[in-house]
Amino acid sequence: MQFFAWLQETPFAQWVASDPSLLAYPTILTLHTVGMAIVVGTCVVMDLRLLGIAGDVPLAALARAPRLVWTGFFINAATGIALFTTDAEHKATQTVFFVKLSLIFLALVVYARLRTLVFRGTPPGVASVSGEVKALAVLSLVLWAGATVAGRLMAYLI
Amino acid sequence: MTVPALDPFVEFIRSTRMSQVFRDEVGWLWPLCESVHFLGLILLIGAAGFFDLRLLGFLKGVPLRSAKKFVPWAMVGFAMNLLTGLIFFISQPQQYATNLAMWLKVLFLLVAGINAMLFETSFSDRLMTLEPGADTPLSAKVIGAVSLLSWFAVLYFGRMLPYLDPNPRSGV
Repeated sequence: MQFFAWLQETPFAQWVASDPSLLAYPTILTLHTVGMAIVVGTCVVMDLRLLGIAGDVPLAALARAPRLVWTGFFINAATGIALFTTDAEHKATQTVFFVKLSLIFLALVVYARLRTLVFRGTPPGVASVSGEVKALAVLSLVLWAGATVAGRLMAYLI
Repeated sequence: MTVPALDPFVEFIRSTRMSQVFRDEVGWLWPLCESVHFLGLILLIGAAGFFDLRLLGFLKGVPLRSAKKFVPWAMVGFAMNLLTGLIFFISQPQQYATNLAMWLKVLFLLVAGINAMLFETSFSDRLMTLEPGADTPLSAKVIGAVSLLSWFAVLYFGRMLPYLDPNPRSGV
């Protein structure tokens, strides 16, 4: 806990938390939402396609999704750490924060597994989407939705 | 920077029974609507963004006609956000009615909407005959860019709303 107390008092954390500039907390928070839209939006589109929505979109088109997913993930890891420092002592004890982190971790594990199943082996676009892939796509939608809601509820739950 | 002309309107909305119920009697309504608003924005930007990227000339292997099948999902996301947005406005009209960020958000919603309508009425039919793998014409690229930028502008002014508000207020 001492570490989090120290973190919260660092000049960086103080700047993010209380500088009157719109570039401090407001812009970092907004970038966190932009990153979320990129990561989760990309994964949701992929999941919908795997579940048969827009079924004539070639699966090969999704092969470039990781660029977007990792770009958004990097934005959100960086902005997320910055936001965490402003309220580290509290957030480190906030259950819903750990729920959010766990759901993101699980969603990324499912994403990695989906990539292996869909893009390794037979050329993408040729193999039909298996039952396991469909089940994982549903799980991915549930995990990302859960992570998003948990993130939003951090502002409301103690 | 208050807009005095809007004050009676704000007072009227706040005095309605619906506004009072939303604000004072259903404590979980606001966090629920915030959650749905974020899920809606993901669906909207994810689905519309995929089609916009194709219009911009990315993902050439995807026929435009196929990419367009994601657009109804963007509309589902938009409907979720219109509904929850109206609930926010009815609950706390004073946070929005005189807030410049809110009106910039509405402006970019109109830009995105008019841009989409222009696409439907004047460009869609012609573009749907594009061969798979073909690059998109400049008109399609402009429409895709305007769409993508205006949706992110809507997100930007929505998220910056509490911080660009000239009136002191509480809450997030």
